[in-house]
Amino acid sequence: MVNVTAKRIAFYVGIVLIWQALDAANLWADNVFPSPYEVGEDLWYGALDGTLWYGIGTSLWRLVAGLGIAIAGGIVLGIFMARVPTVNQTIGSIVLGLQSIPSVAWAPLAIVWFGLTDAGIIFVTVAGALFAVTINTYTGVKSINPDFIAAAQNMGARGTQLISRVLIPAAFPYMISGFKQGWAFAWRGVIGAELLFSFLGLGFLLNVGRQLNDVSQVIAMMLVIMLIGILIDGFIFKRLEDKVMSRWGLR
Amino acid sequence: MAKLEAKNIVKYFEHDGQPLKALGGVDLVVEDGDFVCLVGPSGCGKSTFLRIAAGLQQPDGGQILLDNRPINSTGPDRILVFQEGALFPWLKVRDNVEFGLKIAGIPESERQEISNRYLEMMQLTKFANSYTYQLSTGMKQRIAIARALVMDPAVLLMDEPFAALDAQTRDLLLVEMQMIWQKTKKTIVFVTHNIPEAAILGNKVAVFTHRPSHIKKIISIDYKRPRLAEDEGLSKYQQEILSELRPEVKKVD
Ligand SMILES: Nc1ncnc2c1ncn2[C@@H]1O[C@H](COP(=O)(O)OP(=O)(O)OP(=O)(O)O)[C@@H](O)[C@H]1O
Ligand SMILES: [Mg+2]
Repeated sequence: MVNVTAKRIAFYVGIVLIWQALDAANLWADNVFPSPYEVGEDLWYGALDGTLWYGIGTSLWRLVAGLGIAIAGGIVLGIFMARVPTVNQTIGSIVLGLQSIPSVAWAPLAIVWFGLTDAGIIFVTVAGALFAVTINTYTGVKSINPDFIAAAQNMGARGTQLISRVLIPAAFPYMISGFKQGWAFAWRGVIGAELLFSFLGLGFLLNVGRQLNDVSQVIAMMLVIMLIGILIDGFIFKRLEDKVMSRWGLR
Repeated sequence: MAKLEAKNIVKYFEHDGQPLKALGGVDLVVEDGDFVCLVGPSGCGKSTFLRIAAGLQQPDGGQILLDNRPINSTGPDRILVFQEGALFPWLKVRDNVEFGLKIAGIPESERQEISNRYLEMMQLTKFANSYTYQLSTGMKQRIAIARALVMDPAVLLMDEPFAALDAQTRDLLLVEMQMIWQKTKKTIVFVTHNIPEAAILGNKVAVFTHRPSHIKKIISIDYKRPRLAEDEGLSKYQQEILSELRPEVKKVD
């Protein structure tokens, strides 16, 4: 464990050193290839005047709203697809197709329907994550040991009790994979939509950097987007997954 | 008085596009308080019959009567214990045992009181807060039985619950099962392919024919309880069951 951490730190320090060395070699103009110091400076000023925190906060709340709607909707849709043949034969047949649409491709539609608003960006986020959650929930419910369902029905479970006490917990290990995929799609959706909408958030700050020809800001925002991705993945989804896997006796 | 009655139960399945007649008219009368063991060749439809009796599958012909009333859906008056137990891995032992009570909306204090009683009966008290995958096969089987007993079903349906157990655990559970039956006076229908087990447990043993199956013979076993695996006096009953069963097992298609 210590060994892994040490290797990682050495790796990141190495990258920064190589980056610094490339910058010192003056191969490219400074406004095309900024030094790590300049990027760090940009982050520092952003943090001091609050624009960075405001950007992070805006993007995160859009993420939470969009992902929340996608998870709730995906669970409902996935369960109905798995349990009601007609729903699967109709809606189910286009879910895979919808899943293949990159989330930013929903942005033009979102702009027409919602204008340049939070709702529009959240719509893009939902569209990005919804189908991954749906498909994984569907697969999870389909793979439930039929004896679990029979036993529960035999003991009197019907309708919503069957769903909440058996279908969802039994399918949960699969649903977690759906949440993980969904979150990654949602985060891309938020940033992509913010780039296009140019309406607050980290994607907007990234775009501002480009418009001002401020490459160090562009790189700084990309780093922040990546860092948030690593943190959310590691601290929320990885832990949730580990917990569920061990709790369900799958590990 | 007849508790559970099967009248001319017929069931078809499809195999390679051909209809396969699994149950060819099963008639069975289970009296109140009976312990009936079902034996028969593999694939003759014993599990199918239990599922139909539990209301988990619909027969293509015939009727199941409980207390002389026809039934056509599943419910906690007939609880089936599955061969693999079908315990819920996401729940602790206690929550597995209390599952049906929770569904029935029984308040927590009462639930606990009931589950404590059966956890104790099954010697599971120490493991109430474990998850089921942490336990041995024998313990899981006892949890499955406890989960069925808390429902206080009119009829307990058991599908080879001891098949996966080692000999020692099985011998223990065979004695426990007889004591539970005497204590609770439950009506039990118990599928097994183990002839000594059938002779130990049943006060009646029903022998199925090969597919399409029906019940060819019911053997009554009047013998003291608790019966043990080593009881010599049971061997004549075992011989009788075997002589009915052997020709059926030989009919291979
Ligand atoms: N869902 C199903 N679909 C198709 N065929 C089935 C199905 N369930 C059972 N069968 C067939 O019906 C017949 C009876 O099956 P069943 O499981 O009831 O037999 P069994 O007597 O319990 O056998 P065993 O002693 O091996 O447990 C078998 O030939 C089986 O292949
Ligand atoms: Mg069987």
